[in-house]
Amino acid sequence: MRNNRSTNINFALLTVFAFAMMFWACKDPAKPQPTDSFDRTAMLTFWAEQQIIPALEQYGITLVELETAKNDFIQNKKITDFELLKTAYLNAYLAWQTVAMFNIGEAEAIGYRNYINTYPTDVALIETNIANETYNLELPSNFVAQGFPALDYLLFGLLKENEGYLQKLTQSQYLNYLSDLIDRLDVLNKTVLNDWQTNFKNTFINNNSSSATASTDKLINDYLFYYEKYFRAGKIAIPAGVFSGNTLSHTVEAPYSGIYSKQLCLKAFEAIQQFFDGVSFDGLTTGPSLKQYLQSVAAANNTEDVAQKIINQWQIAEESILELDNNFKQQVETDNPKMLAAYDEIQKAVVIMKVEMMQALNIQIDYVDADGD
Amino acid sequence: MKFNSVQIAIILIVTVFTACQKDAIEAPSAYNFERNGQSTVSFTGQTQRIAMAEELIAELKNPTKTIDALLQMYSNTTTAGEDANPFINEVLNQSNKSIKSKVAASKDFFSSNTTEAAVIKADFENWIKAQVTEVFPNRNELAAPGKAGQFADETTARYANAKGLEYNQAVNKGLIGALMVDQMLNNYLSTTVLDEGDNKILNDAGTVVDGKIYTTMEHKWDEAYGYLFGAASNIANPLKNLGEDNFLNKYLTRVNNDSDFSTIAQDIFDAFKLGRTAIVKGDYKLRDEQANIIRELVSQVIAVRAVYYLQQSKKALPINGSKNYGTAFHDLSEGYGFIYSLRFTRKPNSTAPYFTSIEVDELLKQLMQGNGFWEVNAATLDNISKKIAAKFSFTIAEAAE
Repeated sequence: MRNNRSTNINFALLTVFAFAMMFWACKDPAKPQPTDSFDRTAMLTFWAEQQIIPALEQYGITLVELETAKNDFIQNKKITDFELLKTAYLNAYLAWQTVAMFNIGEAEAIGYRNYINTYPTDVALIETNIANETYNLELPSNFVAQGFPALDYLLFGLLKENEGYLQKLTQSQYLNYLSDLIDRLDVLNKTVLNDWQTNFKNTFINNNSSSATASTDKLINDYLFYYEKYFRAGKIAIPAGVFSGNTLSHTVEAPYSGIYSKQLCLKAFEAIQQFFDGVSFDGLTTGPSLKQYLQSVAAANNTEDVAQKIINQWQIAEESILELDNNFKQQVETDNPKMLAAYDEIQKAVVIMKVEMMQALNIQIDYVDADGD
Repeated sequence: MKFNSVQIAIILIVTVFTACQKDAIEAPSAYNFERNGQSTVSFTGQTQRIAMAEELIAELKNPTKTIDALLQMYSNTTTAGEDANPFINEVLNQSNKSIKSKVAASKDFFSSNTTEAAVIKADFENWIKAQVTEVFPNRNELAAPGKAGQFADETTARYANAKGLEYNQAVNKGLIGALMVDQMLNNYLSTTVLDEGDNKILNDAGTVVDGKIYTTMEHKWDEAYGYLFGAASNIANPLKNLGEDNFLNKYLTRVNNDSDFSTIAQDIFDAFKLGRTAIVKGDYKLRDEQANIIRELVSQVIAVRAVYYLQQSKKALPINGSKNYGTAFHDLSEGYGFIYSLRFTRKPNSTAPYFTSIEVDELLKQLMQGNGFWEVNAATLDNISKKIAAKFSFTIAEAAE
């Protein structure tokens, strides 16, 4: 009967073991730690080398073209040069949409984004600066008098009609201001790009742990913040009056040129998705990404594929943006419910990202909504 | 008829119980009180002072303003004490009321403490003057340790002194304590004021003030209410649209939006309604119970906000190398004003504030040592937060988010 005895002992052991398991399992049943063996270093490397730095480089190229177009225009003061300048402005503004979300390193240190794309621009302040011919564009109070929004005003909003436009813009103090604004865009980007190329790339990749100050946690927070505040609120929600209750059509991006606001918005959305999907900036390769990261966590823990949920919602959101007029100011003024509908779809993805994505990645949100006073 | 002792005992007991059994007093659903079909609720003075304070804090950001012009807004007179017209809103110019006359001016705290009242009134004047002499001239400079100037709070430019303090925030958040809270908790809700002279007799008899529709006691209570809801678009149901001023009402909203304090606005409003109902019914014990609830909760609003800003600012301190320190400085400037306001809070069932002037000064000194916000560290902020939270029934964590 050895067998029998051994079974009894086994049974007793099993009982003890089962109880131990129960206790262990019950210790913190509400918060299972997701398994996470994702290679963060590889992802950070891909982000830096294939997405962020190439985007900054390409943006830098468009700024050089903008510089050239500006110099030609200042020299010749011709309508043909003016048209080329406006095209160069649009190209640079579109390229900006691909780097705006990367508010880390020197970009964060110098407040890069605030100088480049704070809108609505303050026309009265721009005119005062131009009239005074002295101004310090490094001051925070001049955020609203520079960058692309100020260029939008100078190139498209100085006068309502074409007649006399060039005469006004080619006055020396206007040209000086135009020139200073474009030079400053160039300097700002060189500062940020140079830092990535010399020091920050390694710092960024080596900071590969998972903590509140780790690169992954920080950049994902920046990304989320960008989506929420700059993409959702800045481009759609504020003009549509989501927060104020009244539509504010003058607060759209690029209101003076008007017809580019949707294009800028779609470019930003494309960049947001490209980053998430892990498509290299040149579109030729794919690499480790938020999407892969989420999918690996989902596979390891047998949980829902949050990435697919986000992608599906973005598809709906993009369709609702495509429904809008090219000119968002026009859209808000004539048919705001469509703008609100687009907002709703963009917002649905915020909820998935802020809660489900961050939980799955076990990353703390490090920002709060500004309190507005 | 003859009663035996048992019967007498029963009758006595029944009589005693019946005598004790009053109709329970119930408050109306809104702050609506009427006499002969007319509303008896009135607090125009409070509404006007809130409006004056709004204009003052707006103009503190206008660098073309002179010291005189701003001080006139504070006192609604010239420095020589003659009539002045400093406000955009003509009604305020016509008014003989002012902010200054009600700063640190409650019966309970300052009627026999005019020395301290004078110091507090002067604090506000000094902040206003320093805004013009220190901040305005440096408005187009970048702030640096020991140097007044501007800094970025996200995309907003803020203007501060050499230690990072925005004087306009000190004035704004300081007035919440020195004007609104002090007048409400230590003046109008005080028995010294409510029961002054023959107020009780007149109120019991329903005798109204000459030419008015309300009794003095009713009016005093309403004036307390006015410092919280005086700018509300719907004064009878002010909770529907909270946040209609930049003072106490706004920050009640903020605290109420924190899920740890989600009933505080309703609780304060209910206490105001029930206390006012108690006055109509002549139940002064019930009235004073409500006054104590209001004292506790309104004091809590100030304390929660002070801790909230200190904790928020920890995320971006320059001493930790943060580049977004502008956001921290703005939080600290607001926190400074709320800490300043703590000396006007009121412990329920007592004649004391939660923090004395000396204690408040000690906390503020810690914040402003050396180069002030440029140097302050998280340990100091936690230490101040702890000292504040220890006197209240909330934790730092509850207040922090």
